[in-house]
Amino acid sequence: MKKFLLRFNWISFLSTLALVAIGALVLASAGAARDSAVMAAKWKEMLWTAAFGLVLYFVLAFVDYRTVLNWLSVPSYMFSLILLVAVLAVGTAKFGGRRWLWFFQPSEISKLCIIAFLAQLFGGGEERFRGQYGFRGLLVAAVAAGVPCMLILLEPDLGTALTLIPAVLVMLLSAGVWRKGLVALLAVGCIGVAALLGAVHEAERPGVSPERRAAILRYVPLRSHQVSRVKTFLFPETDQMDSGYNLRQATMTIGSGGLMGKGYRRGESIRRRLLPPMGIMNDFIFCVWAEEMGYLKGSLVLLALFALLSVSTAWTAVVASDGRGRLVALGMATLVFAHVYVNIGMSIGLVPITGLPLPFLSLGRTFLVTVLCGLGLVQSVSLHREEKQ
Amino acid sequence: MKTDAPISAIVSFWLLTALFVVGFAALAVRLKEEQVDFAADHLRDMDSQSFRQVQTTGLRGRIFDRRGIPLAVNRLSRSIIVNPEAYRAKKKGETTETLLMAAVSELVPVIGRAPSVGENGIRRHLRQALARPLVVWRDVSDEELARFSERSLDFPGFDCAADAERLYPQGSVAAHLIGRVGRDRFPLASGDEKMNFVDKELCGREGLELQYDDYLRGMPGRERLLVDARGFASSRSVVVEPRNGFDLKLTIDLQLQRVAERQLRGWKGACVALDPRDGAVRVLASAPTFDPNDCVPIFRTEVYERYAKDPDKPLLNRATAGTYAPGSTYKPITALAGLRTGHSASEAYECIGAYEIGEMRIRCTRTWGHGELDLAHALRESCNPYFCALGVSSGTNAMVAVSRMFALGARTGIDFPTDAAGVVPDAAWKAAHSADPKWRLGDLAQMSIGQGQLLVTPLQMARVAAALGTGVMAVPHLNASLSPSLAPLPVPADHLAAVRRGMRLVVDGGTGKLAGEGVDAHVIGKTGTAQVGMGANLRKNTWFIAYAEPTATSRTQEPLAVAMIVENGESGGGTTAPMVAAVLRAFYNGEDER
Repeated sequence: MKKFLLRFNWISFLSTLALVAIGALVLASAGAARDSAVMAAKWKEMLWTAAFGLVLYFVLAFVDYRTVLNWLSVPSYMFSLILLVAVLAVGTAKFGGRRWLWFFQPSEISKLCIIAFLAQLFGGGEERFRGQYGFRGLLVAAVAAGVPCMLILLEPDLGTALTLIPAVLVMLLSAGVWRKGLVALLAVGCIGVAALLGAVHEAERPGVSPERRAAILRYVPLRSHQVSRVKTFLFPETDQMDSGYNLRQATMTIGSGGLMGKGYRRGESIRRRLLPPMGIMNDFIFCVWAEEMGYLKGSLVLLALFALLSVSTAWTAVVASDGRGRLVALGMATLVFAHVYVNIGMSIGLVPITGLPLPFLSLGRTFLVTVLCGLGLVQSVSLHREEKQ
Repeated sequence: MKTDAPISAIVSFWLLTALFVVGFAALAVRLKEEQVDFAADHLRDMDSQSFRQVQTTGLRGRIFDRRGIPLAVNRLSRSIIVNPEAYRAKKKGETTETLLMAAVSELVPVIGRAPSVGENGIRRHLRQALARPLVVWRDVSDEELARFSERSLDFPGFDCAADAERLYPQGSVAAHLIGRVGRDRFPLASGDEKMNFVDKELCGREGLELQYDDYLRGMPGRERLLVDARGFASSRSVVVEPRNGFDLKLTIDLQLQRVAERQLRGWKGACVALDPRDGAVRVLASAPTFDPNDCVPIFRTEVYERYAKDPDKPLLNRATAGTYAPGSTYKPITALAGLRTGHSASEAYECIGAYEIGEMRIRCTRTWGHGELDLAHALRESCNPYFCALGVSSGTNAMVAVSRMFALGARTGIDFPTDAAGVVPDAAWKAAHSADPKWRLGDLAQMSIGQGQLLVTPLQMARVAAALGTGVMAVPHLNASLSPSLAPLPVPADHLAAVRRGMRLVVDGGTGKLAGEGVDAHVIGKTGTAQVGMGANLRKNTWFIAYAEPTATSRTQEPLAVAMIVENGESGGGTTAPMVAAVLRAFYNGEDER
């Protein structure tokens, strides 16, 4: 028992609990501001979901992660691929994307499945594959991560696909998969993104003729709403109605909270519908928290909790007994960080607007359960370690 | 191909932690900028996005005659309005516009008439004033309202609203005097907070409604609407209550006004009656007249066109804006000019039926001549040659000077928007305005009998009558609370007495004997028959000016000065004098002429 208490990652667990509590608080406030009984009760629903997620968390924590990975990583990965295909075939469309299958979103589940699968592949879990992380390793990784990413992009859910990239990169870099090739690929990716941004900048810059704009955009592989989001990111001052409007409103809502906030349940952004009601409890939930609690009690506290969670999760990699545990910990830490950074960054103009949930705070039961399961798996890495002499 | 060794766990951790720290620090710094450095700006933006200022209006003041009889009041006007918030689009493909239009067209058969606002009006409202209710049916009748009430539950957002509309209970009586109203927006120029919506309010367009517009209109109020990002209002709070306009009490005697208008019915003309002691206007009538209720709630173009194209010009206020040759009613002024230049009232002049000067021959009303006349009898008979000779002998300067003493050729200063100055011609005026620039003695002779280029308004002539009776020039006024502005007429008392003697003879068996008929008052006066036009177009504008003082048995103890003109009459004595007598009888005998 003493061993358990010592090995249990308390910082990760307690920050998780604190974030779950904050999630319930902010959803209760946001739900009450909308004149809808369904929305007002959402926070309870999320608490029950979190309770369910925590049960899975402990189940995964107490079972040896190696057993879990050996038994489940490959089947769950395959299963998630099937789900991703199924959602494209028979899924339900909501808010401009075909993301729902019955009551859950397969793309959220696949985030964890990909991490577990890559950890199993490159952490020494598969005997056949050990020591062959050269070009072939990269190729295997590209297929393993690329296929689900392509399926997710088809939904389309650019945000989810993009947050997977850093997690996958961190895992592959750490695992030592053909580093030169990886770095080269990363460089090509950066150049590609820069070229994309440059092209949109050139096309949308004020004073460009419509013909020239159309000619440039023909070579830009983005949908029109994505182009307009990138445009808003590049030129936030241009007053567009759609994405520019959301960015302006989000920044205004956050900024109006000031240092100390307006007080819990005193936020005005929802009551006055200053932010789109569809997004306020999902992608823009941070705005509600920042507005009501302010910079000190709201933003900084939340950032500190997420920082504690990410760093303590990453720390598990240091104490992990094997490569698989290390990769799972690094992957999950990066996944959480990427979500937090993109979600908060998009409402203050650091990142283009994209639909991505904030872990624990955004409505979305699938993602909540997924994150709790992932963190439970990391907790298992921490619990089932061999003491180093 | 060499296989890379895995990065050690501790290096991975520190590299990743460095990335996290940079990322979270970037978020913290950006959030600090927005939440600490720009917090005030964001709060202000949020407020300006969330509140709309509305300028509301108070009730317009009423207008009463001197006895408190209402001339202009407000009536309750019910409208059917709709709050666009109830038609917020909820499903894809819906818009507030289509939802609202559909509801309106469903309501049309219920109300039974087309809405007061067109499709473009609805669109404009939704675009510009989404936060405010839209008036769909203005001024609905009780039956229409009852039909709406039965079904109102089926039409969420629709409601009945009460508003004020102008009502002129006397109809066309004193129409020119009261004027008319329109509706317009008057954003307050001052104030640090910008108004997003300014309600249209009643505003004066003509007449007293225009003259006392600021006084009647009151002070606008202010409301704050809390709106959402789409512009729909979610709540309303009154910041400043509007203050109602002040009521206006007039010097007008509505009963007398009615009598005067009745006399003028069927004619074109005007009648002005004043209290000669202080210039209080008792009657200001113009014929033909119009009904100011026609411009409520809006002066529709076709109604306006009908009035504007009428050859009788019913919209023209002849009492203050109509300029006419005064004809013989000007002769008392010629008489005073003569007395001023040394002529005596008893000086005799022989009328031979015409007056000749140069190539001009001015005929007398009695073609065979009046024979020898003094001033009083010349006034009594309105002898043209006498006054031609007197005026020519007095000279232009004296004539113009005395005319100016009576404030002819100048605005009277009445508290009314139209106040024509008229013309007192002299050499300089003629040089500037006439094709024949030379001022001739013939012009002076014409002027002496109130013809030629001389032009006056009925209001000016009422003032002349008042000043002749009292020796005091008073600025005419309509607002009962104005203090009178008086100035002594700079004419010796014996001169005035001589002229009054003649004017008494006019009524006592002279040309204006009908003006005193049956009037329980001492009446003096002067007829006038001004010829205008030439040949077939020759018309006569017939005048009578009177000054009356009460007798012991009169109903009222107030003096009264009256000027009346009838276009295309027969003669001042025959056409206009009896009308003046009717007005005077109504005033002094208490006769009900209605």
